[in-house]
Amino acid sequence: MRYLKIFLLHFEHVFENRAQSLVWFSMSLSNPILQILFWRGTQGIGGWSYTALTSYYLLIAAAGAFLSSHIEGDVYEYDIKQGELVRYLIRPFPYYWIKLVEEAPYRILQGGFAIIVLACVAVWFGNYLSVPLTPLTLLFGLVSACFAYFLSFTYKMSLGLLAFWLKDIRGLYSFVEILGIVLTGFILPLSLYPHGLREVTLALPFAYMIYYPVLIFQGKLGLAEMLQAVGIQSLYLAVFVVIFTVLWKRGVRQFTAIGQ
Amino acid sequence: MTAISVSRLSRYFRIYQKGAGIRGSIASLFRRKYTTAKAVDDISFSIEEGELVGFIGQNGAGKTTTLKCLSGLMYPTRGEVSVLGYTPFDRKTDFLKQIGLVMGQKNQLWWDLPPMESYLLNKEIYAIPGDRFKKTLGDLVDLMGIADIIGVQVRKLSLGQRMKCELIAQLLHGPRVLFLDEPTIGLDVVMQQRLRDFIRDYNKKTNATIILTSHYMQDVKELCRRVIIIDHGKLAYDGALSDITRAYSDRKILTVVFGKPVEKHVLAKLGEVKLFELPKARILVSRARTNAVAQELLRDFPIEDITIEEPGIEEVVRRIFSSHHA
Repeated sequence: MRYLKIFLLHFEHVFENRAQSLVWFSMSLSNPILQILFWRGTQGIGGWSYTALTSYYLLIAAAGAFLSSHIEGDVYEYDIKQGELVRYLIRPFPYYWIKLVEEAPYRILQGGFAIIVLACVAVWFGNYLSVPLTPLTLLFGLVSACFAYFLSFTYKMSLGLLAFWLKDIRGLYSFVEILGIVLTGFILPLSLYPHGLREVTLALPFAYMIYYPVLIFQGKLGLAEMLQAVGIQSLYLAVFVVIFTVLWKRGVRQFTAIGQ
Repeated sequence: MTAISVSRLSRYFRIYQKGAGIRGSIASLFRRKYTTAKAVDDISFSIEEGELVGFIGQNGAGKTTTLKCLSGLMYPTRGEVSVLGYTPFDRKTDFLKQIGLVMGQKNQLWWDLPPMESYLLNKEIYAIPGDRFKKTLGDLVDLMGIADIIGVQVRKLSLGQRMKCELIAQLLHGPRVLFLDEPTIGLDVVMQQRLRDFIRDYNKKTNATIILTSHYMQDVKELCRRVIIIDHGKLAYDGALSDITRAYSDRKILTVVFGKPVEKHVLAKLGEVKLFELPKARILVSRARTNAVAQELLRDFPIEDITIEEPGIEEVVRRIFSSHHA
């Protein structure tokens, strides 16, 4: 109940800046729109029909809005570099959870915009969106989406914490952002990547942040594969939690709260 | 009961020293030179529950670093710190629920929402029971006189109004130890006085232990009976504010009003002439010679009025700092 109240208060804060969230979400639509236009006229590729491809890109956009955390900039720029971490350290509330509560409303708000877009597409351009949901895929899709968000969030939090040691990591962030776009399947379904690269990208944690939840919602995975995906997600999450914990414990020891 | 105990606290920083110019940049690729800055160096003190202590020091003296170590924001290099029986940098939930930290001009409230929303957030974060929250908030709002602005966006408040709201945010959970780092910085004199009155009242009503750092000596003079002076990371003085003048000033001030004009160089033979605006002059003389100089003035000069005073706190603190630097 306490966490819910804290979440709602933060949601209220984010809602005050809803126009900004809408702008961010609108920008994220450019890639799927371009991809849909690019594949237009084809019959599909590598077992993906045109409708499956357009559905994939629309779902990827929605998954990006819902699940792709962007907390690292806050952690790096404001909390560590500018010393805002001070106000978190003096509060009796874990830093990880308060940052989650701060960021999650953005994901929900932007995800809400994505749902509206999907609904509009379903109503006016039905042949572009096919989501064959069953109770099982819905259940696994939601569980997998939760794991995906925590995975993305914990990974980005850990990246942000690198600012304890590195002076300027904007270059690293740009590199990681581009890497993320390629490895999470924003450009192309990972199964369409060339042999070798495909196996690597499918095994990396990035695929479990966006790609696999989308495949589940698209009904492309069987029960065993869905179980495997969720199992690997939980393993990766455990690894990232350990990394985050180590970075946090070591980093905060040398935090000097400069300028505060 | 001892609220804060600090024993041989040190906090050092390793600072990279880059050589000048492009040569220095290239050289730094192969070999880096570091120096150690002793922000706090082997200081010890203890503070009793309910005390309101002034923490004085110049910029970079180490007072904020000490405050950060006390509030658990920073790990010390050496030494032991205990606040309310807790080791601050363990940052235990029970410890954090009992302390408050106010940093002047640092905004801890939500910028786009009214202060009330931040207070509601603090209520949940500090797990303050509803009825206690309501009563404390009501009392603080009345004391600060901010009933009319509690629903206004923080971004639209003046600095003074915001400082009041910040202070309330840090007091809602009823901290037993309060760290106030430059709480009056940037405020006009009227607002400074109001905040001082509030801090004094709060200390009396709640018996909270308060450590105050301020560049304004007026804050310290009005609020603190005890001061801790820190200079270059070392403890320069720890004791009653009223004793500081006697302990550190070996001079007194003679203020004289002359009936007729006198020459400045004649007065300079008696002591250091700090002010010469006839008919008034102010002379600093050593404590031991004060009576003799006063008698000489009365005997040899056309005196209309003469007063003997202790130097001001500001003057004494300045002397402490300059003597440590000498």
